[in-house]
Amino acid sequence: MKHMKIFLIGIAVVCLLLAAAGPSRAEVIKIALSLAMSGPTSDAGQPYAKGVEDFFKYVNEEKLLGKDTIDCTIRDDQYKNDVTKRNFEEFLDMGIPIYLNYSTGSTLALKRDFEEEKIPTLPASFHRGNVEDSNYIFLPIASYSEQCIGLAEYIARHFDGGKAKVALFIHPSAFGRGPVADLEKAMAAGLNIEIVETVEHGTDLDSTATLQRLMSKGVQFVIAQTVQSPVATFLNDAERLGIIAQTFGEKDKITFMGAHYTGGTDLIALAGSAAENFFWTTSYRLTSVPGVGTEAQLALAERYGRDDKTANSHNYTNGIMVAQVAFEAIRRCKAKGNPVNRVNLTAELNQMNGLNAFYPVTTVGPVTYSATDRAGVDSLQLYRVQDGQWHAVDAPFRSEYMRKVE
Amino acid sequence: MSANRWLATGNFFTSYREEQRIFFTHLDRLVFVAVLVLLFAWPLFFELSNKYMLVVNHTLIAVVAVMGLNIVTGYAGLISIGHAAFVGVGAYTVAGLATTLGDSHKLITHAWPLMIVLSGGMGALFGAFVGLPALRLKHLYLAIATLSFQMIFEWVIHFMGFFNQGQTIYIGRVHWLTGEVGRSSHYVFWYYASLVVVVITGFGIRNLMRTRFGRCLIAVRDNDRAADAMGMHPGLTKVYAFALAGFMAGLAGALHAYLYRGVGIESFTLHHSITYLAMAIVGGLGTLHGAFWGPAAIEFLDIQVEHLSAWAAQIFPAQGNLATALRPFSFGLVIVLFLMFEPRGIANWWRIARSYVKLWPFRY
Repeated sequence: MKHMKIFLIGIAVVCLLLAAAGPSRAEVIKIALSLAMSGPTSDAGQPYAKGVEDFFKYVNEEKLLGKDTIDCTIRDDQYKNDVTKRNFEEFLDMGIPIYLNYSTGSTLALKRDFEEEKIPTLPASFHRGNVEDSNYIFLPIASYSEQCIGLAEYIARHFDGGKAKVALFIHPSAFGRGPVADLEKAMAAGLNIEIVETVEHGTDLDSTATLQRLMSKGVQFVIAQTVQSPVATFLNDAERLGIIAQTFGEKDKITFMGAHYTGGTDLIALAGSAAENFFWTTSYRLTSVPGVGTEAQLALAERYGRDDKTANSHNYTNGIMVAQVAFEAIRRCKAKGNPVNRVNLTAELNQMNGLNAFYPVTTVGPVTYSATDRAGVDSLQLYRVQDGQWHAVDAPFRSEYMRKVE
Repeated sequence: MSANRWLATGNFFTSYREEQRIFFTHLDRLVFVAVLVLLFAWPLFFELSNKYMLVVNHTLIAVVAVMGLNIVTGYAGLISIGHAAFVGVGAYTVAGLATTLGDSHKLITHAWPLMIVLSGGMGALFGAFVGLPALRLKHLYLAIATLSFQMIFEWVIHFMGFFNQGQTIYIGRVHWLTGEVGRSSHYVFWYYASLVVVVITGFGIRNLMRTRFGRCLIAVRDNDRAADAMGMHPGLTKVYAFALAGFMAGLAGALHAYLYRGVGIESFTLHHSITYLAMAIVGGLGTLHGAFWGPAAIEFLDIQVEHLSAWAAQIFPAQGNLATALRPFSFGLVIVLFLMFEPRGIANWWRIARSYVKLWPFRY
């Protein structure tokens, strides 16, 4: 009888051990993205959404998380903050551990919700104001302020005609105005340029008067912080007036430059030959400058049947990269055996620096976050349009003055 | 008057006073009270997700705004396509005080009913001011005048540092008898607050239409010269129609500010003015309950088309762009269809349904 008891207990222990070592249940990690797929800025939102969608599809199909999968819900908010809020509430009910947001307006509007919910958020907006008084918003790349200051630094370094006269051409919103004050601070800190005028554009179809006014003031450079279509209008009129510089800083002409959302293939499509010699900065790699990252991007687009326009869009790259960052945080979390939740993902993002920095192939530098660094990729690449294609100018760089004004 | 006050079989009014009653039969009153009890009681028994509570609250706020628009456009016949700006005036009254005093100042967080009324007052003030051109303008010209107010409003907010140049101005969490209203009870709390405002203003408008001031609105709409000849003051009537509409819009704006806990210009643009007008048309201009049907119908449509778009994008992934176009397309289509086939709005369907029930069995 005693042997029988020991035998039965032995079997029970073996069964328990087998059960513990057996196949664990696959986890479905829910992620959500709310963005403008219709309405204003949907030209950027559409490829961005496809980038996010395609990358998570790839993750699931290639089983990059083993048996676990990522279920990413993408909702159109029509660029309306009220709808974004509604979507966000729905996503919270779904139990998302990380949230992908889009516009500057909605990121600012929901900032307090992110804080209260303690949910890590990756927006498509690089507005520096997003991360002020926030512990949970992580900008994917350098802020618009850093991009504009970076361009201004490039002007100051390479212009040999003395103190450069610069005009700012900005969107009439927080998105456009954000970098102006930071640029002024950088100038106060010693950045050697002069801002002659700040032009807030409307929906004008003709910019002749503005351009002539800038010429009369001796403006040599224009830094644009807006979206592509007003820049295209500006460039077309500048071409008609014959005032676009053919070389950097050409005398009696204007050299046009711009931050992330002013450029890309869309600008060339809209402005045509007027886009020639436009200088543009972003942290993303472009398919016109082939490399490992761009080949991977094109392969991903081909795999999911995306058209050429989408495949070559920097906003498609933008979407892929944000999905990559979210995936990497989840992967690291799982590798440590931690549950995938808001607290652990926030911690993983905050530890993404130094030797733990993340190197997505889609950007020109590593993604680094910490409790004090809220901008992912700090490196910027300058591009220039030549013969209807974007070409890299020099090596990637980092803004020096941004450190001084932060 | 009919002997049976429960099931009147026809109109037996012997005085104007009888005709002006709010409820014609006891049954009408009973049904109304039952619906009211239901509206107040359902959140206690049926828990809705935050998303749908937000949709319900948003609809109630739109009801308040559309009731206002209905006064000026429906009853008084004055086209206003700047109504979102009046809603914005209400919201920015709260936001302005939050900027000045701090978003957690007691006036904002504790005296919020006062703030809502104050916002209504500011809306009325701006409404009366914008209504002044109505003394000289009519039809499309008046529409352009209201449109210009919308444009000026947006421009001012965009460019004034005091209003954070259109960026979100945060509003602190409000307090109630039980202390601070936290995130978990936020939407239910504002459901009740909005419902109380809807009921009070709904009764207010219903009563207004029983007074000579209300009848003046309709008389001026039908023929202002004839109204003038009858001793009414068309100019004053038009101005107070705008003031009342502004008051209602101001209330809606303050509720919006508190519900979303922030005020940004994106919620008060021309697009929103068009949406309010569409709600009024779809609901039925010139009827009180049309102001309830319209917002409910448009919000319901928006949610359903959102689901349809998501479904279509999953079934036909390559046609994702087409799926996202469903929402703006359906919104425009509904307005066009209503204008073509049912210009009297859903309120007319309600009237037909009631008539049908009244006729059965042989009530006349």
